[in-house]
Amino acid sequence: MKHILLFIVLGAFLLAGALLHATNVQQPTEPEIAAEEYDEDEFGPYDPIIWEKPVKAVIFDHKVHTMEAGLDCDSCHDDLFEMEAGVAQEAEDFTMASLYDGSYCGACHDGSTSFASDTRCTTCHIGVRGHARLVGGGADASASSH
Amino acid sequence: MKIDELEKLESEDVSTITLEERRKFLKLGLAITGVYLGGSVLSLTSVKSAKANSGVVVEPGDYPYNPHYSMIIRERLCVDCEACKEACRTTNNVPAYGYRTNILERRRTLAEGNYETTFMPVLCNHCNRPPCVRVCPTTATWKDEKTGIVVMNPDRCIGCKTCMTACPYNARYFKEETRAVDKCNFCFDTRLSKGEQETACVDACPADVRVFGNLADPKSRVYALVHQPETMVWVLRPETGALPNVYYTNA
Repeated sequence: MKHILLFIVLGAFLLAGALLHATNVQQPTEPEIAAEEYDEDEFGPYDPIIWEKPVKAVIFDHKVHTMEAGLDCDSCHDDLFEMEAGVAQEAEDFTMASLYDGSYCGACHDGSTSFASDTRCTTCHIGVRGHARLVGGGADASASSH
Repeated sequence: MKIDELEKLESEDVSTITLEERRKFLKLGLAITGVYLGGSVLSLTSVKSAKANSGVVVEPGDYPYNPHYSMIIRERLCVDCEACKEACRTTNNVPAYGYRTNILERRRTLAEGNYETTFMPVLCNHCNRPPCVRVCPTTATWKDEKTGIVVMNPDRCIGCKTCMTACPYNARYFKEETRAVDKCNFCFDTRLSKGEQETACVDACPADVRVFGNLADPKSRVYALVHQPETMVWVLRPETGALPNVYYTNA
């Protein structure tokens, strides 16, 4: 009789444990695309483009625009941007004012195709802090040493 | 004990209390409560601290200084380019290990796993009741009587750093070169006293985030922004009662 009671108690414990474990299991999430699976020939460079002029720092992610938003290479190249990274920022008119007039990013970021250039600033402007996080470097180190 | 004597006594339990007596007792309680309430509202709280709790923005005409230098920060426009920080460094000779103004960053989760970043410029709030001034043992820091700027005299500073602990905004740092605490003074010595209208950080900001001016002047832009309708103006850490003069808005 004692043995049966012991088995019942143990069984209840194990069952409860199994149930708790089952409810705790993480829902399978969409796996992040690894660098190897990402086709750079089709979607453009895997690493984000970072502009440092006229203000530091603005991020452009090819993956978000091509693979996720479905744009082709010739949607932007070579009319809006040169293929070579960082050429645009050498131009005098690479400013927010030009974007509002429909140049560069402003061709799509006009409020109808995608969010307007004068809204949601920090989506693209990652700042000195964001830049330091991405590339590493002294900006963040000096900021935290007070 | 004499039971027969006790039995003759009148009962004192609640059933014998008349309605009139009950009412009197309740009225007495109300009167006492009223005296306490009235006292704390009318006389026990000074007018100054009662005002401090009423809101973060001072009523027009109540600004203690003229010019009442103040800054309002249009927070959502800040993109952390840190041009302000650089300009401050060169203008006020701030070393690499310290800062007079800084940019903080915070993240807010949006729908579908997205997030939004907000950059928050911070600097000395030039409080109307500055805790740093109160704790300084050598009066090396004080509130300028004319402009309301919280200024430092590095020669008088003994480097005890009590003010750094007292400051609710972490706006002070110890400058090794002068062996004294250093802080923002709205560029008073480097720019304002030389006839400039704006501080170095305001001048450097490409996104027009920082607006500086005389809050006591109803025609100034800072006055217009602080008293703008249909928006919200807030300050950092209002619970300290320091009455800061750096305001934040999204207008």
